[in-house]
Amino acid sequence: MNKNMATSLVRQTKLLSIVSSQLNSAACFRNIHCSAACLKNRAARIRVGKGDKSVTYEQAYHPHHIGHRKGWLSQHTSNLQGEDGAAERVVEDVFIRRFMYGTFHGCLADEVVIKRRGNLLVICAVMIQKLLPSKFYFLIGYTEELLSHFYKCPVKIEMQTVEEKVVYKYL
Amino acid sequence: MAACVSSIRSVRVLSKIIHGHFLPAAAVQHQASSSRWLHGTRGSALSPAVSLTEEPDTLYQELSVRVKGHDRAVLDSYEFFATLAARELGLTLDRAFEPRKHTEKLTLLKSVHIFKKHRVQYESRTHQRCIQMSRVTGSTARVYLEYIQRNLPEGVAMEVTKTSVEKIPEHIQKPLWTDCTLE
Repeated sequence: MNKNMATSLVRQTKLLSIVSSQLNSAACFRNIHCSAACLKNRAARIRVGKGDKSVTYEQAYHPHHIGHRKGWLSQHTSNLQGEDGAAERVVEDVFIRRFMYGTFHGCLADEVVIKRRGNLLVICAVMIQKLLPSKFYFLIGYTEELLSHFYKCPVKIEMQTVEEKVVYKYL
Repeated sequence: MAACVSSIRSVRVLSKIIHGHFLPAAAVQHQASSSRWLHGTRGSALSPAVSLTEEPDTLYQELSVRVKGHDRAVLDSYEFFATLAARELGLTLDRAFEPRKHTEKLTLLKSVHIFKKHRVQYESRTHQRCIQMSRVTGSTARVYLEYIQRNLPEGVAMEVTKTSVEKIPEHIQKPLWTDCTLE
């Protein structure tokens, strides 16, 4: 019984080796490839490299981890079913992120989180301790004043400072 | 005065429990501000904040609060908070259930120009919760809804449906055929 099974297995492996050698021989040029170059997703992903690139928690996890290992960066109700105003919120968010990146240049440790509670717009940011606290306070007041005049709604900034950028892993 | 004291106590109990559960910072701030207001009225105990009017209060047969959000955990904690508030204020809670989640799926082209065979799929999930209360008075409903709405987390939308009990108008209280006599 065992001998029969062994011989059949050996015959099958011999067949496979014959088939693969025929495929890879000079006569036929067809090779099997399992994923086309277009099938790879590149959105919001940092490619694995030599191990010298530091990456934060937000950057390390891919978009399909949102809701499971990541939270949402922008929290508002316009993407729910039966609610509208999504496009306006997106435009506002993009402007606010660029504004924060430019005003606190080089100080942002991670992505800015934008929350909307009723009329109130809350911008939560984590900063590196690059500037003096008095300068930070001035920039916070300036941002709040300017954005509240621009968007006609109360704007609050909740800021947290960190000594260095928090590294999650190296890619 | 006793009602004021009991409401302060219930608010303090709520604030103790809310600190333990994950609710946004603004909720805690709102909580603190409302308790400060209550302390203010307690100081001037002679002038109560309750106003008396001649007209009767509207009665609601059913008060339905439906909340929608993207995160199920946030809705879980909000449901706990709302049901606790209703129980502390003495409202009759009918049921707090979860309607089925709605998923909106989009299949779009992955590439900007060609490659029709390669697409990307996105989906957006909306979870819901519904809390139904029966036999609520208008002023109670107003207070409860204001409290609930001030502590609504970001990214959560609320829909309130009230079914009020109205008196039958006078002109249709009696049927027409009793007045006119057929010959």
